[in-house]
Amino acid sequence: MVDGLATAIIVTSLLVAAVSGVMALRGHPPRVGQLAGLVVVELVLLAQAVTATGRMFTGDRPDQLATFVGYLLTALLIPPLAALLGWSERTRWGSVIVAVACLVVPVMVVRLQQVWHG
Amino acid sequence: MAEASRRSWRAGTGPGRVLVGVYAFFALAAGARAGWQIATRLSEAPVAYLLSAVAATVYLVAAVALARPGRRARTLALACCTFELIGVLTVGTVSLALPEALPRATVWSTYGIGYGFVPLVLPVLGLLWLRRARPTPRAATSAG
Repeated sequence: MVDGLATAIIVTSLLVAAVSGVMALRGHPPRVGQLAGLVVVELVLLAQAVTATGRMFTGDRPDQLATFVGYLLTALLIPPLAALLGWSERTRWGSVIVAVACLVVPVMVVRLQQVWHG
Repeated sequence: MAEASRRSWRAGTGPGRVLVGVYAFFALAAGARAGWQIATRLSEAPVAYLLSAVAATVYLVAAVALARPGRRARTLALACCTFELIGVLTVGTVSLALPEALPRATVWSTYGIGYGFVPLVLPVLGLLWLRRARPTPRAATSAG
């Protein structure tokens, strides 16, 4: 885990969540900008996953490896899932899906940090 | 007519699609964890780990059933939500009353406290939504 990357994920994700929340309140379905936000979140998550995996192989591994790997894999799948479901729902509920997903990602990242640091 | 009425049973749109997403997420979260634990250390706490796997499977079936149109999918979704509600209440109570029965945490331990009590709220929301998404007599008539 790199704390800088974790912070970047949390900030980006919360930003996309906020935008999507406003869009949902206004009754708009997700737009390309929100999808782009999900892509950015996913890319930073991937960078974090690659770094964490690399460190695990050099001996710096969390005690609860199973929990960590489970959370990591799940976190990586959230943005694609949100993009698919959110984009297919052409109502305000599509924006709700993106907003909820982008609120879950920071929770996952905080849990990942807790598990990593034991 | 069969097509039209089948469409009117579609629960996986609007707010329902948010539920589909959350169910899919829980299937992933619980499934990834349970799969890993069963593969690497099943002997440590077989009941707890298998229970997590069952929970994950039911979440997956619920997600698919909610997303699919049709009466049978709706019945399946209802069954899944009911099973989850009973599961989270039973396992939650057992984990508090007899902690030694489940030495490792499951997704349903202490009513899903490890997952922000979402496992407790989710089946209730699912049941409420399925009830609301039920075709009204008028909708059934106009569909026919």
